[in-house]
Parts: sequence; C-alpha cells; structure tokens
Amino acid sequence: MENTVNLKNKTRVGLLVLLVIAILAIGLVGSGCVRGLAPIGWSGGTVSSGTLYVGSNEGRLVAINLADESRQWAETLKAVTQSGLFGCAPTGGGGCGAGTQRVAIYGTPVVAGDLVYIAGYNGKIYAYNISNLAMRWAYPREGNLQPFVSGLVEAGGKLFIGCSDGMVYALDSTTGDKLWEFKTDEKIWGTPAIDGDTIYIGSFDKKLYALNVADGKKKWEFVTEGAIISTPLVYNGTIYIGSFDRNLYAVNAIDGKLKWKFMGGNWFWAEPAVFNDIIYAGSLDGSVYVLKSDSGEKIKSFDLKSAVSSQPVIVDSSVIFANRKGVIYSIATGSQDIKQIADLKTDVDGPLTVYEGIVYIHTQQLELQRINAASGTLYSPVSLKG
Amino acid sequence: MNIWELIIQQPVINILIVMSHYLADNFGLAIIALTVIVNLILLPLTMSQIRSSKKMQDLQPRLVDLQKKYAKDKQKLAQEQMKLYKESGVRPAGCALTMIIQMPVWIALYQAIMLALAVAPEGLLNLSKYLYPWQVVYSVLPLNPDFLVMNLAQPNLILALLVGVTMWLQQKMSMTTQTDPKQAQQANMMLWMMPILFAYMALNFTSGLSLYWVTSSVFRIILQYRVTGWGGLRRQAPTPASDSDKKYLKFQAAQEKKSKEDTGTDIVITDNDSSKKGTRIIKTDKYKFQPDKDRERHRKK
Repeated sequence: MENTVNLKNKTRVGLLVLLVIAILAIGLVGSGCVRGLAPIGWSGGTVSSGTLYVGSNEGRLVAINLADESRQWAETLKAVTQSGLFGCAPTGGGGCGAGTQRVAIYGTPVVAGDLVYIAGYNGKIYAYNISNLAMRWAYPREGNLQPFVSGLVEAGGKLFIGCSDGMVYALDSTTGDKLWEFKTDEKIWGTPAIDGDTIYIGSFDKKLYALNVADGKKKWEFVTEGAIISTPLVYNGTIYIGSFDRNLYAVNAIDGKLKWKFMGGNWFWAEPAVFNDIIYAGSLDGSVYVLKSDSGEKIKSFDLKSAVSSQPVIVDSSVIFANRKGVIYSIATGSQDIKQIADLKTDVDGPLTVYEGIVYIHTQQLELQRINAASGTLYSPVSLKG
Repeated sequence: MNIWELIIQQPVINILIVMSHYLADNFGLAIIALTVIVNLILLPLTMSQIRSSKKMQDLQPRLVDLQKKYAKDKQKLAQEQMKLYKESGVRPAGCALTMIIQMPVWIALYQAIMLALAVAPEGLLNLSKYLYPWQVVYSVLPLNPDFLVMNLAQPNLILALLVGVTMWLQQKMSMTTQTDPKQAQQANMMLWMMPILFAYMALNFTSGLSLYWVTSSVFRIILQYRVTGWGGLRRQAPTPASDSDKKYLKFQAAQEKKSKEDTGTDIVITDNDSSKKGTRIIKTDKYKFQPDKDRERHRKK
C-alpha cells in the first residue's frame, strides 16, 4: 500500500514537471512556428568584372568569380552587443532571445571604383577593397545606427541609403564621411533610386520623397495611404512605386503629381520591371500585373500561385519572376505569355540578378542558384558557406 | 494557410491591427483591450475554476475527516475524496484545464505581436498573407511598437518582473490550504515555479506578450478578489473546531500521558474556540511540552 502511495506521489510530481516542460516547450515551439521572427536577410547579387558580390545569410560579403567559381569572403559583420537593463538594443541577428548573433544583410552590395559597399542590419555601412575584401572604412566609425534594410546606391562619388531611424544618409564613397542627412517621420526600409540630380525614396511615413542629390533638400513629397517599402522605378520621367495601401502609383518625377494608380490584391513589395512602355509589377497577392506605363491600364495579369516579393530581371525580351516558393517564371514581353522555367523548391525573397543570360538567385539555404534564363537549365548551386 | 493560421492566428492578427487603429494607433492599448476581451470570453471557465477552488477550500475540514477515517486505506481515501469532490462539484484539474485552453491564445497573440510589429523584415513580409482585405488593415501597418516608455517589440525587464509578481499574487490568492503535506509541497512548488518560469519567458520574448500576461493576471486577481477576497494572501482565519479536531486534541493529550521522552517537543494548537471551552492556548514559541513538569503542575492545581 505504501508503495502505491509513493508511486502516486511520484506520478504527481512527474506530471507537474511535465506540465512545466510542456508550457516551456509550447512557448518555444510557438515562437519557432512563425517564419520571420528573426532577421535572416535577402541580399541580392551585383556583378562587376566577372565577379558576383552578395551578402550571405552568415552575415558576410562573399565574392564569387563566375568563371571558375572561386570564392572569397570578407570578415563576418559584428552584431550589436545587447545593452540596457530595461530592454534590449536591436541586434544584428536574432534580437533578444533569438539565440543568434548573425548580422542579416538585406541590401544588395554596390560596386564603385575599387570598392564594394554593403549595409548590415547591425546599423553599419562597410566599404571593402575589391581585390582582397579587406575593409576600407565603416560608417559610423564608432557605435551603430538603427538597422539597415535598405540597399545602397552610388552616384557621383556619393553613397545614398535609408535607415530604420528614418534618416536618408549621403556619404562620401571614398572616405565614408557623412555629407548630409534628411529626416523622415518613420523607418526607411526601401532602397532609393537616383535619376539625374534627384534621389527618390519611400518611407514608412507613407510618403515618397524627392531630394536633391547635392544637399539633401526636399524637392517634393507625395503622400500615399500606406507605408512605402519598395524601391522606386524611374522611367520616362515617371516614378512607379508600390505602397502598403495595395496601390502601385505613377508619380510625375518633376513635381510629384499623381499620374495614375492601380490597386492590386496585396502589397507591391518589390520594384517593378519595365520593358517597351509596359510595367510588370509583382504583388504579394501572387499575381504579376502587366500595365501600360502611361495610363496604368491593365493589359493582363498572371497568377504565380504564391506571393511575389523578389525584384524581377529582364533577360533579352523576357521578364523573369520568382515567387516566394522558389518557382521561376518567364514572361515573354512580345506575346505576353508565361511559362514556368524552374522550381528551386526553396524560399526566395531577395532580388534576382542576371549576368550573361544566367539568373542568379540567393536562397535561404546559403546557396546561389543558377538558371539559364533561355532554356531553364538549372546549374549546380554555388555554396556561400564560409 | 493551415487550420491554426486560419482559425486562430489570422483573426487575432486582424483584430489586433483594427483595435490598434481605433485606439489612437496605440498597440499597447490594443493588446490590453484584446486581453480583456479574451478573458471575458473565458470568464465562465475562469469563474468556474475560481469557485471550484473556493469549494475545495471549504471542503478542507471534511477532507481532514476523511483522512482520519481512512488513514490506513489510501485507496478508499482516494475514492472517498473523489466522491466528495464530485458531490461538491469540485474539479481539481480545473486550473490546469484553464491554462491549457489559454495556451493557444498566448501563442497566437505572441505570433500576432511579433508579426504585426514587424520585428524583422521577414515578419512584415509574412504578415501580408494573414491580412483581411480591409483598407484599414493595410493602411495602419506597420504598427507603432512604442507604449509608454517601452518598445513592445523588445523584451523588457520591468514587465518581466511584473509578469512574475502578478502571477505569484494571483496564484497565492487562489491557493487552497492543503492538508496533505506532499500536496502542500507541490502547491508551494508551483506557486514559485510558474511565476519564475513565465518571468524567464517574458525576458526572452517581446514585451507585448508580457503586457498580455500582466493584464491577464491583473484581470484574474480582480476576479479572485471578488469571489474569495484576498484568499491565500491573507493569513488563514481560524475555523471552528469540528468534532474531529476535538478528537485530535484529546488524542494529543492521551499521548502526553504515555510519553516521557518527548521533552522539548512543541505543541501546536490552532483551535481558537478551545479557549472558550476552558482549554488553554499554548503559544508555541514560549512553551515547550515537558511531560514531568507539566504533570506535576497539573497535580498541584
């Protein structure tokens, strides 16, 4: 009888321990069930002199010689050390409790002269020598800004970028010195676009800004009904940009007046592509809308069966799109026909890169997938693992 | 989208976003409001559990009786206890059941908070698939994570401590007096373990979730107070001696006559009413049971 009682007590204690473990486990599993709780990165690639530069999900710049597939890695970016007793500073990687210190890289590297530039989620911009990927300078030199999700653009010896602190920064591309800054009311995650002496950039404050390249003075602003994260497309004196209000806007580049807008089923996250006065805009509703650039009239739409968040590329006379599930489509601009050319069976969020007819896609598996755009042939992927 | 996302996650996300919009774009207020709504929905279950705990408390004298009666037959004791619980409408597992039912809500809320606050760019991208086609939902995103001096997208030490403290208070208030020392030990272990565990989790997750836990605990503290008062937080009020208690006192006295080796052992008498019936209360910190001296003192009287 005594044994039975002991057994019962042991069972009770066991059940209690199990309950506690279950709560903990469900909590942890619950957190893991959601994709996107920790920053991973979706850097695209840039090709210069036969070398492709990409920010890997390991948090480092990788240079791949496309001829012989030899690779070179820069030093891994350093995450922000967590600070503060009453809260945690945003880190380069998983944030508080995420258990990782990787620095996510979202922006596509930029090459200018003998330097390659990259911005990290740790709130720093880096310049590396092209020859050996040794660091030339970092901005800011001390400390960190808010995370960079926006990519860099370079023009006339200046670098431009938007930051999560809501600022647009202009830096001297040789020294990394700040030239000017412009404040918006919310975060900036979208990459700017430059046309002549004007820089165009969208902000979470729902506005599209046109700034003077020389001094950052505002030329005009255009207000939408939702936050802006996508990169503006500048074509024939018109800015095409998507907003979280589900509209794709066409705005006059001179005065910021609305030309037309087109509503999709969800956000226009990625920058559209343009070919022969036709806009190809991928939406998170899983469709690609084909619109007349001057009027916004819909010519056709294609169902890609999954959200489109990657920036498309134009290869010859075809527009190549990838959906988030990794299925690659080619749209013939002449006949406006679509065909599936490959299925990577992996998540694709970052922009596509094209070089000599080959489409390069940075996947979440630390690989660079390569597809022949014409034939759809899938070449063996290049590992980005350092 | 799977069933979980369709039935739980998606509605919670959209409700949070809409509430945030109508509460001056304040996500913290939206979390508090949603917590109150969730708790109001779970109110019948919660009230049933609180009442069940109170009944359990009221049953303690009868449970003591049963323990005495079936001291040598544990199986029978268990049967009789269960019978008593059943007759009285008490569900000993009610607390765990309530917690288990709330768990999906916690997880959905945690996921909703993480996604809606766009903690990571991937989160914002994923959020798009959960949105209902309402203009208000699209135009209000991404949400502002600032609430008072906190960033709801980051863990916060003060809120984590508040999670632990309010959970401890709520558990302490709802604690029933256990007659079985082993059960009392387990209850005590849970009293400390759960708040510590949740405070630890709060330190690792977004403070938006901590805000939900704190609001939820405060809500339950208020409910508990309305049903049982301060409950376990207040020192246990003495209850009138039952027949079994009287037997217990007699039993101790009988032991007194027999034993001579127990010198120095404390006597604990908690029966207040015994004083009314001519029995002297012995305060444990001042008096020791000394059989020989006590017997002599008694003879002199």
